[in-house]
Amino acid sequence: MHSKTNLISAGTHILGRNKRYILWFYLLNLAFAWAGGIAFSRSIHRILDHSLYADRLLHGFDLAVLEEMIARPEFGPVGSSAMPALMCTVLFFLASILFMPGVLLGYSSDHPISQEEFFRACGLNAWRFVRLCVVFALIAGILTGLLSGIHGTVASALDQYSNDDRLPVLLECATLGLVFLLLTGLRIWFDLGQSDVVLRDQPAVRKSIRWALRITRRHFFALLGSYLVAAIVAGVILLAGIFLWHALVPPDSVLGAFWVSQATLALLLVSRFWQRAIAVAFYLRISTEPETDLSSIPIRLPATPAP
Amino acid sequence: MRFKHPASASIVLLWGTIRLSAQLATVVPPIPATTSSINSSAPLSERVVHYEIDANYDAEKHTLDATEILTYHNLTGQALDTFPFHLYLNGFQPNSTWVREAKREGARGRVFARWDSASYGAEEIKRLEVIDQGDLTSQLQFIHPDDDNQQDRSVVEVRLPKPVPPDGSVEFRISFHDQFPKTLERTGWNRDFVLGGQWFPKVGVWWHGAWNCHQFHAYTEFFADFGVYDVKLTLPQNEVVGASGVEVGTINQRDGTKTVTYHGEDIHDFAWTASPHYKDYYDIFQSSLGPVKIRIMMQPSHWGQAERHDRIVKATMERFEQWYGPYPYKTLTVVDPEPGSEAYGMEYPTFITGETSWFAPQGFLDLEIVAAHEFGHQYWYGMVATNEFEDAWMDEGINSYSEVKVMDSIFGPRTSLINLAGVTEGDREDQRLGYLPVADLDPMARNGWQYANSASYDGISYGKTALVLLTLESIIGEDTLRQAMHSYFLRYRFTHPTKEDFLRTLEEVSGQDLRWYLHQAVYGTEVLDYEVLQVSSYPVDWYKEQLIESKGRTEYVSNVWIHRKNDFALPVEVEVKFDNGERIREHWDGQDRWMRYSYQKRAKVQSVEIDPEHRIEFDRNNFNNSYIVERVPAPAGKLVNYWTFSSQLLAQFLAWWMV
Repeated sequence: MHSKTNLISAGTHILGRNKRYILWFYLLNLAFAWAGGIAFSRSIHRILDHSLYADRLLHGFDLAVLEEMIARPEFGPVGSSAMPALMCTVLFFLASILFMPGVLLGYSSDHPISQEEFFRACGLNAWRFVRLCVVFALIAGILTGLLSGIHGTVASALDQYSNDDRLPVLLECATLGLVFLLLTGLRIWFDLGQSDVVLRDQPAVRKSIRWALRITRRHFFALLGSYLVAAIVAGVILLAGIFLWHALVPPDSVLGAFWVSQATLALLLVSRFWQRAIAVAFYLRISTEPETDLSSIPIRLPATPAP
Repeated sequence: MRFKHPASASIVLLWGTIRLSAQLATVVPPIPATTSSINSSAPLSERVVHYEIDANYDAEKHTLDATEILTYHNLTGQALDTFPFHLYLNGFQPNSTWVREAKREGARGRVFARWDSASYGAEEIKRLEVIDQGDLTSQLQFIHPDDDNQQDRSVVEVRLPKPVPPDGSVEFRISFHDQFPKTLERTGWNRDFVLGGQWFPKVGVWWHGAWNCHQFHAYTEFFADFGVYDVKLTLPQNEVVGASGVEVGTINQRDGTKTVTYHGEDIHDFAWTASPHYKDYYDIFQSSLGPVKIRIMMQPSHWGQAERHDRIVKATMERFEQWYGPYPYKTLTVVDPEPGSEAYGMEYPTFITGETSWFAPQGFLDLEIVAAHEFGHQYWYGMVATNEFEDAWMDEGINSYSEVKVMDSIFGPRTSLINLAGVTEGDREDQRLGYLPVADLDPMARNGWQYANSASYDGISYGKTALVLLTLESIIGEDTLRQAMHSYFLRYRFTHPTKEDFLRTLEEVSGQDLRWYLHQAVYGTEVLDYEVLQVSSYPVDWYKEQLIESKGRTEYVSNVWIHRKNDFALPVEVEVKFDNGERIREHWDGQDRWMRYSYQKRAKVQSVEIDPEHRIEFDRNNFNNSYIVERVPAPAGKLVNYWTFSSQLLAQFLAWWMV
């Protein structure tokens, strides 16, 4: 990777070369969501398809009709619709763990990697990624728990002395902002750790975590800036998507709503993959720099195919 | 003493003089016939009680010490020797009936998983003396007429050595001490705010030949006689104070306290509030009887919503005046209570509390609904003073009906609760959603504390009543029902009508025997649920081989079955639509369990709809009221799309942060 290139544009370059991963992840998510929604779909088709009353959901959105539908015995317990959807959400999460090593390997290569290379990287790193994920969850859980505890203490102190009900909300927003920054920082750290695990074929994930922590601390603000840009773009995409959905799509256009909502989700996915690409770009840059203590260990990049 | 209203000052002085001379003669003075707080030259009610209360509020301890002089005019037609008093604040004690029921049912979301000492409330009579009969404190006995809970102290009774003769009067002099709880059931303190509701010993009502003085229950309200209130409140000078009635004057003391004096007539309760933070917003409503001063006491963080409160209150007052009759009081105080307190959404005479928060977009009309509802109680509770313990539906339900009418008339029928970004919900639908889960649990006509649970109390006494009256519009007509409500108000204002008074008025004004409907709706638990059971169309020549069907040419036999699934029988309209556009309206009396309609036409049935005008509001299942022969998957498709989007978003969010 070229050290003088801006991180964001380097990430964008990698992203542009590897659009197929986004497509596959998007399709995977859509398939899981569709499968998870089958129970819900069956329930509501049974109630709504032959009823004129359902028209109040189609032309406009009458919340009372929705609430009444959910309360119908034919709809069944809410859990029977929600659980499959939740399970499929978890499946997508697991699939992300499983396939992300292949993506990172692809990102590190300046040519499309073969399916064999992709899946080999996935298989080789699956358990390592699970361990990384568990460590991340532990650290994130402890830190957000601490923040939440501080938030609770400040909130109850505020509640005793102030009758301004905007203050708890401001405090909540401030806490959420801090949690967001904290998680972004952790994500940078672990994204680099994951890159290290895959690209250096590092079986001892603790070493990658330690190395990534050191590097993240050293280059925190540059990385944070790039990650925040991608996150802000994601936020804008989500808001713009919902706005367009509301403003442009007629209430009774199911297909229009489908396309706008799916485009929004696909673009959101792009933002996260963009962050990944930034992390890989940074990793490749930093690992070729002489001061990096792991520079002596060779990075295992995929072989360039013969011309 | 600085009087804000010179006329009121003269009345108070005059009244003071009368009292002094009366005391000298040890004759119980008559209840004042003053009219300084109402837009009327004569008293509006038969004044039974006169409360003169002098109270000191300790804002640090949330306690109150007061003396109360209660003059009771015996209009019962018989001698009375026992008098029961409500001591509502004693309801907030761990073994009281109120707390037991609240623990069982939950009260406004409070489930009492553990006892919080801040919830403790008490109302202790230190001394009770009856003029000419001496100190009767030792004669006080707690009674438990509703549940025999020996540990409940919310009603106390005193037996007089000398009965009060018919048309005679008796004067009680009571010293009492209150400990307010941290707000519960719309009374108490929160931070430096206090709402004084149900805070003084209040005598029961002699009603239908007996004392009516129920214990304090977790989800019932109150019942009291009309009269005159003269209340002096002494509290810190930094407090902004509001109360029932008109403010007569304020005097500052050297010790940093002030005494604010209020006077109210033809009311049956008195509530007050104080907080250093209130910001006042004033307006005038011109009623047909005279000006009404509207005072809106807002939290500073909600100041931007003062005008919204004002607009909805005035619009509601205008409609109530036009539909039912005039508001006769000179004041209306609207309180935006302390955020986080359980003091929101409550009515007292000429004094209501609203409900809002810092986030109240224009499309969420909760603020408006609560204000309209609580103002409505000035009529259905305040003036038409029904027994809220026994006939909760007559105040909450009739008022919920009026609230729906007001909200619909201002914001539109299906957008009167939410109208934001394409998402809508009407107030009447909200009433319906409260009713549906409890539809067959309780009849409307039931003692409030005897409902199956608080959800049933809410769903039936508020929701079902509103829906029953809205549906009654389809039977007798909207204008006739409005006329009946108008007659009911004019006939029974400043009295305590019974359920039969109301039902008789409906029948009388409509000129119809409505018992078939009211018996099921008011006294019964029958549930209404019509459904389109089956629809079929087949060619007349179905038996012919090689039959080719052609739209507009082939003749079909069509059958439509309508089914009454539950026990509530109500005549209904049925609309059958054919695929050539033709529509046929049928009328079914609903007496049998089912009805079949048969047709022979060159068209097939396209759809069938029961109650096509949507005038029946309490059908338990609206989805089965219609049937479209060819399925229309779009509404479900729309929801599936929302569902899929949400699942995908959640999955991506999880993966974003965790992987």
